Amino acid sequence: MNNNIALSVKNLTKYFYEPETFQVLKDISFDVHKGEFLSLIGKSGSGKSTMLYVLSSMDTDYEGSLEINNVLLTGKTQNELAAFRNANIGFVFQFHYLLPEFSSLDNVMLPALKLGRKSKEEIEYDAMENLNLLGLNDQALKSANKLSGGQQQRVAIARALINNPSIIMGDEPTGNLDSKNTKIVFDIFKQLAREKGQTIITVTHDDDFAANSDRIIELQDGELLK
Amino acid sequence: MIKSTNNKIAFAHLTSRLRQTMVATLSVTFGISMYIFMNGFMNGVNNITSDLSFSTLAHIRIYNDIPEDRSNLLKETANPNQVINIRSAKTIKYTEGIKNSAQIIDLLKKRQDITGVTQQVNINVFFRNGATQVNGLLSGIDVENENKLFKTSTYMTDGNWNDLNFRTDGAIIGSGLATKMSLKINDNLVVTTADGVTKSFKIIGIFNTTVAGVDNTKAYIRINTARQLLSENQSYVTDIQVNIADYNQARMVTKRIAPFVPYKVEPWQISNGQLEATSQLRDILAIAVSLTILIVAGFGIYNIMNMTVNEKIREIAILKAMGYASKDIVEIFLTQSIVIGIAGGMVGILLGFLISFGVNHVPFRIATLQTLPMTYYIKDYSLAFIFGLITTFVAGYLPARKASNIDPVTIIRG
Repeated sequence: MNNNIALSVKNLTKYFYEPETFQVLKDISFDVHKGEFLSLIGKSGSGKSTMLYVLSSMDTDYEGSLEINNVLLTGKTQNELAAFRNANIGFVFQFHYLLPEFSSLDNVMLPALKLGRKSKEEIEYDAMENLNLLGLNDQALKSANKLSGGQQQRVAIARALINNPSIIMGDEPTGNLDSKNTKIVFDIFKQLAREKGQTIITVTHDDDFAANSDRIIELQDGELLK
Repeated sequence: MIKSTNNKIAFAHLTSRLRQTMVATLSVTFGISMYIFMNGFMNGVNNITSDLSFSTLAHIRIYNDIPEDRSNLLKETANPNQVINIRSAKTIKYTEGIKNSAQIIDLLKKRQDITGVTQQVNINVFFRNGATQVNGLLSGIDVENENKLFKTSTYMTDGNWNDLNFRTDGAIIGSGLATKMSLKINDNLVVTTADGVTKSFKIIGIFNTTVAGVDNTKAYIRINTARQLLSENQSYVTDIQVNIADYNQARMVTKRIAPFVPYKVEPWQISNGQLEATSQLRDILAIAVSLTILIVAGFGIYNIMNMTVNEKIREIAILKAMGYASKDIVEIFLTQSIVIGIAGGMVGILLGFLISFGVNHVPFRIATLQTLPMTYYIKDYSLAFIFGLITTFVAGYLPARKASNIDPVTIIRG
């Protein structure tokens, strides 16, 4: 058991069956260290997003094994995985995926309310802090569908951070952001990795973003390049 | 904490798309109100039809039948190799009518399942008015009990039923008979029995049951007058008519009382087979209609609820990605279903009642009816409500459970 390993995949293989059987991921194995800022890059269709979903435990249809924080996630039930994600993984989707009826603040609070470790007041305080961090303090009470695309994406990032997850994963989290906001997000990620030892794994098309991260993993046709 | 969060999400879903919520609620409302209305109407029609059928027919009739055929006296003892020839064998009825009626009536009145007993002396007679002569039935009756069993007083078109109590020579005749013989109230009606006895009656009332066979041939007189006409004593009757609480139980009750009554006891199903057939067919029809409504309304509700859940399926995936468990998802959607079910159910009950009430006031003046018939059974209303709740529950639960059990990515990827 290496306590420094945040995430470890072994012999990860995945197929798509529709419209025809196709091997997306071919025998991938790698480890990610705690506090590491990792970028997954690759061409469209290389399987990087697919791999990220497997790593996030939201896709259970794969072969091989997945361990996060030395907990074997392969073979766990949907409910166990959901509880694990709630406490340990923050995920930022390519599109914001907020609940449109709720205010930004409510959206950010949702994962913490589920976790239930803190009182509602504390959660609200934390959520406001996170929104401040992303420059959204004045949007907190607006409902999510009234925000601009960039603002929504930042709310989604604030939501991913609310439970202080040990791993934050992003599927092109800055894809919808302008360069200024991209810089803000990047700095936040970097800071979280440095100061709190949180592990960051993002899929990105932004070469600058990738170049500035600690480590780059490139996928090509379902295989690791480096 | 988490419960209130789930409720908050459910409430947000319900209020964010009010139109959709309204449509779902309305589909429940519509199903429930239609079920209530159709059942009330069918039951009303059924009850009226039974009432009409039993307007001249009692549930059980006791009378002196021709005895069993025992003309072949040697049947049981004879050697099969012998040839027997009995000529001109006849079944003879030694007694007419029921002699010890008071005793039988006492016995019947003690029983819990019997709601009404009346005695009749029915005589086949000729009615005469000058040159016109009509074959018919003169029915000597017990004024009060006859009315209790057959509600005869409600069929009176002229005169008063209870007046028969005060006129020993009074007669109440059918409307058809009155027309045929050109008779009005206060006219005289001459009656001739098979034995040749003739007596004149004063017409004090005219009734109309809308059953032509009765209206054209029947006349009521007091039972004692009828006994006099036949020179019979005070306990003589030809028929004892019995009504019971539930007419469908007539066969059972017959079986129970027959051993104590030395005469023929006949339930209505035996004397009127066609009535039994129509009665059962009506019941089957009622069940078929109500089942059809249940199924159609059920599918309608299911469809709408299913649609509601499917529209939110992406949010299910997001909630799961954030760590919400299957039971949270199911709870969120069940809360919505139940709210829709209860709201739709309550409005449905109200709407169903209003529709029933409205239809119940549509004029329908045929036979003894004034408006369309309707029933308001609590049973129908509560069944409809429970059914609505169950359907919405299932319709919310199944798709939510399905959605909560798949990988969130499968939904997000599309």
